Amino acid sequence: MSAKTILHIEDNEFNRKIVRDLLARTSYRLIEAADGESGVATAKRERPDLILADIQLPRMSGLDATRALRADPETAHIPIIVITSFALSGDDQKAREAGASHYLAKPYSPRELLEAVRRLAPEA
Amino acid sequence: MAPQEATPRADSVVPIAAPGSGLGDRTALFLLTRSPLGALVQWVARVPASIHAKLLCAFLLVVLLFFTMGAMSLDTISRMSRHSRLLDEAHKRVDSSRQVEHALAMQMNFTAMALLLKDETTIGKILRENNRFNSTLAQIDQAAPSEERDLIQRIRAAQDEALTSVADIANLLRDGKPDEAMKLQLASGYPLYERIEGLVGNLVKTEEHRMESLRESVTRADRRAMVLVGAFVGTSILLALALGFVISWSLILPVREAGGFLSAVSKGEFGATISVPNRDEFGALADHMNRMSVALHQLDEDQRQAARQLRALNEQLERASRAKSEFLASMSHELRTPMNAILGFTELLLDGTYGDVPEPLKQPLADIQTNGWHLLRLINDVLDLSKIEAGRMELSLVEYLVPDVVGTVQASLRSLAMEKGLEFRIQVPDDIPPAFGDAKRLTQCLLNLAGNAIKFTPSGRVVIQVERQGDQLLYRVSDTGIGIPKDQIENVFAEFRQADTTIAREFGGTGLGLSLTKKFVELHGGRIWVESEVGRGSTFVFSIALRVEEAAPA
Repeated sequence: MSAKTILHIEDNEFNRKIVRDLLARTSYRLIEAADGESGVATAKRERPDLILADIQLPRMSGLDATRALRADPETAHIPIIVITSFALSGDDQKAREAGASHYLAKPYSPRELLEAVRRLAPEA
Repeated sequence: MAPQEATPRADSVVPIAAPGSGLGDRTALFLLTRSPLGALVQWVARVPASIHAKLLCAFLLVVLLFFTMGAMSLDTISRMSRHSRLLDEAHKRVDSSRQVEHALAMQMNFTAMALLLKDETTIGKILRENNRFNSTLAQIDQAAPSEERDLIQRIRAAQDEALTSVADIANLLRDGKPDEAMKLQLASGYPLYERIEGLVGNLVKTEEHRMESLRESVTRADRRAMVLVGAFVGTSILLALALGFVISWSLILPVREAGGFLSAVSKGEFGATISVPNRDEFGALADHMNRMSVALHQLDEDQRQAARQLRALNEQLERASRAKSEFLASMSHELRTPMNAILGFTELLLDGTYGDVPEPLKQPLADIQTNGWHLLRLINDVLDLSKIEAGRMELSLVEYLVPDVVGTVQASLRSLAMEKGLEFRIQVPDDIPPAFGDAKRLTQCLLNLAGNAIKFTPSGRVVIQVERQGDQLLYRVSDTGIGIPKDQIENVFAEFRQADTTIAREFGGTGLGLSLTKKFVELHGGRIWVESEVGRGSTFVFSIALRVEEAAPA
């Protein structure tokens, strides 16, 4: 059984690096996208096992990206973790309504993130 | 400024002095518009005199009319009684003249008897009748007009002659010469008597004629007087009625105008004006009303202007508020993104993701993490406060169990209390039913209060108590700490305030916790207060509904 693929959509290089370093010691294969549009395109092309999406992204927001992926039958089943900023209350609700499987508020603990990833897409 | 309105017609005026559409009103309207009375009403209204004076004048005029009427009647009555007296006199004169006629007839009768009986004593009776004749004639003569005097003179002359003849006859009878006496009587006595009879007949006719013509003229004069009095009474009544009409309508019209004006004003036409010709109290009233209208109009304009300004200001504020929340959203994200990197990398380092951490680096890394979390709390508090102030803070109301909320707070602070050697107790009754509210924010409130209590209590204990009072929940956090001076209690809930600035240096903290706690409690529709004594400790209490209404006041 091949390694699970995780797509991380995040525009900040440092935050991408945290996830990259966090997953370096695991069996997950990580692919990355820096904006919402390319994230959706990558997801459709690569069919990852799990998607981590920041809520605020250039070109297309994390919520819109989640909706787009849920609307496509090819990607509708992929679990999505939305990373919110808790700017205004109701972010969590918006994430759920858009179709997120789980959400984490920034700043998140890498340890908690890994737990959520392992729960939604257990390592092979 | 005030729009000049055309003077409203009497029938355009609505309520209050309701003119209605009765027959009386239509008649009045007809008279006002189609007869000179209308112009007269206007004229009376324009007379610069008080209503009192006008009414007094009108009443005096009516009284004057009645006086004149009375005087005329009295005059007529006295004239009629004089006429009847004149008629009486004429009657008497006719009677007298008839008595003269009668006395003459008796004289002739007695003369004839004396001749027939050849009796001298009967002559005396003739003389008696003659006396009556003379005295009655004298009475007539006394009040006779000059043309009649001539006739009476002639009657008297003829009577004197007749008496002479009677005396001669009497002498002849005494001398026993009845035949001669008879001859004398036939020769001069009879013709004389016939002449006198004719004259007296004339007199009677003249008197009767005079009486007749007097009666006619009196009847004519009386009829004329009656017609005159009747006409005067009729005219007086009409005049009084017209006077009443004019006076009352000169008062009613402005009252109706005022009624129409007031109803227009009450409908919101603040610029309405009233125009009445009156120069009396009503004129003054109308002036006041117009001034009031101008003032009201001005007030209305000012108020509209103020409302427009307020609306504009409101829109501005709305825009500013929107901009502020957009700024908050992006600011929150912008602040959290680097915080995420700082805290994330620190955790990865401490977890040995990059290999074992050399011992001397462990403490500094832990310090970075502690301060990072502290900075994050500050950022969260500032953002929360900004959200509340922008009116963008919304509670997420859920079912919660009070022991769960208090338990979370206890778990978070237990180690901190233990480090300071403080007793940290929780008292929650078992019978509190499931509650409804924003459990996360309430936890945050209790964390702030209990955290402060631990921070400001050097020794002793901190207690969290929950009490149910009907449909209210009382959360009470008490400590045996340093307390708050009375003069600073008011400030404890203000933003960026600590009771004493030296305290900030000693105990740290931003002073946002209490302010946020107060705002969250108020968002729940509750209230918060504090009782404190310096050196003895403080007790913070907040009460909120057991089950908060969905649309809690913001």
